[in-house]
Amino acid sequence: MASSFIRHVARPILATSKGFVSAAAHRNIPSSLVFLYRTQATTTPQSTPNVPAPSLIRVDVEQRKALVDFGQYVAECLPRFVQHVQMTSTNELEILVHPDGIFSVIAFLKDHTNAQFSSLADITAIDVPTRTYRFELAYNLLSLRYNSRVRVKTYTDELTPIASICDLFDGANWMEREVWDMYGIYFTNHPDLRRILTDYGFEGHPMRKDFPLPGYTEVRYDEEQKRVVIEPLELTQDYRKFELSTPWETFPKFRNRPLDDSKKPPEPTASEVSQKPSGTGSENKK
Amino acid sequence: MASKILKATTNITGLAVCKDPHYALKLLYGKILRDLKNIPETSAYRKYTEDIINSRLEHVENEPNIARLERKINCGQIEEVIVQAENELMCARRMALNHVWGPLASQAPPNQWKWPIV
Repeated sequence: MASSFIRHVARPILATSKGFVSAAAHRNIPSSLVFLYRTQATTTPQSTPNVPAPSLIRVDVEQRKALVDFGQYVAECLPRFVQHVQMTSTNELEILVHPDGIFSVIAFLKDHTNAQFSSLADITAIDVPTRTYRFELAYNLLSLRYNSRVRVKTYTDELTPIASICDLFDGANWMEREVWDMYGIYFTNHPDLRRILTDYGFEGHPMRKDFPLPGYTEVRYDEEQKRVVIEPLELTQDYRKFELSTPWETFPKFRNRPLDDSKKPPEPTASEVSQKPSGTGSENKK
Repeated sequence: MASKILKATTNITGLAVCKDPHYALKLLYGKILRDLKNIPETSAYRKYTEDIINSRLEHVENEPNIARLERKINCGQIEEVIVQAENELMCARRMALNHVWGPLASQAPPNQWKWPIV
């Protein structure tokens, strides 16, 4: 098994770029690349020269190249569903797919000979209420054959259902139930979609951004009724609109403001605030 | 029939030793190649899968010794290669059903993938 066999698959130059390869991927890979290198996990990897200090993330150049190649390969095989392929700063491959194609893409990654991602590590989501589709779903897959990992991402909102992948991975059953419980993302064709983490009779989806931190109800043991009672929360919290822009100085790349901020008049500077003739604390001191 | 010496076990739970892997593989590869005909020839998936299957089929046809065949294919034991072929068959049928070769269903809304969201 330790022989340096390299499986090669003929690949033409990418004729139609659908914007699926990130800038980072483009920099490293010439488009005239014609082979996909996939070696078994048992094949001994080549040691990389110039090993950096142990405190830094080690960039395994070969592994990175293999992942970039594989990302291009998937994008080319499934042009209907793959919107974008990118590498994260820590060398993880992310495949961003259209919500209609999540089942097809994961079926391809699981069953295709060059992929064999037979293990589903996790399904999770994030909630970004400002986006058109507020939920972003992430599926982490592991290929034991090729010792590689991939993350498949898609998006949805409260009303758009996503195809369940329980037919492919039995383990997806509980993970999708958890996502349903925490975010309220509905999965079609799920055999048993119900709450999994929250209490009996719980209402709402706690991981949503608009879910108040203390919740809507409180639970206590009632001595007279001799049972646990659920009552509306007395100390209710007002709805908070979170200011998502960072208060700290940011890098120029991330410095642009949200759209609604641009319409507001410029805020008064610190000197103007102190000179304001209103009943503020600074006025009283004078 | 030195080539037909069978091992006692694959050492993998639930995976029995295949008595005639050449027969099983030829059968499966034939099915896959037939199902791939339902996909347009321009599809990258069809092209790449045909390349993989044809190269493996060539090894299967030319190499009667199972141990040497496993080394040539280099993707695990021959029983695992059979499982991979079964999966590929299922995959090919699914891909044909879902028309994965078509143009992009739709682009994501602007800023959908933007991160950080500031």
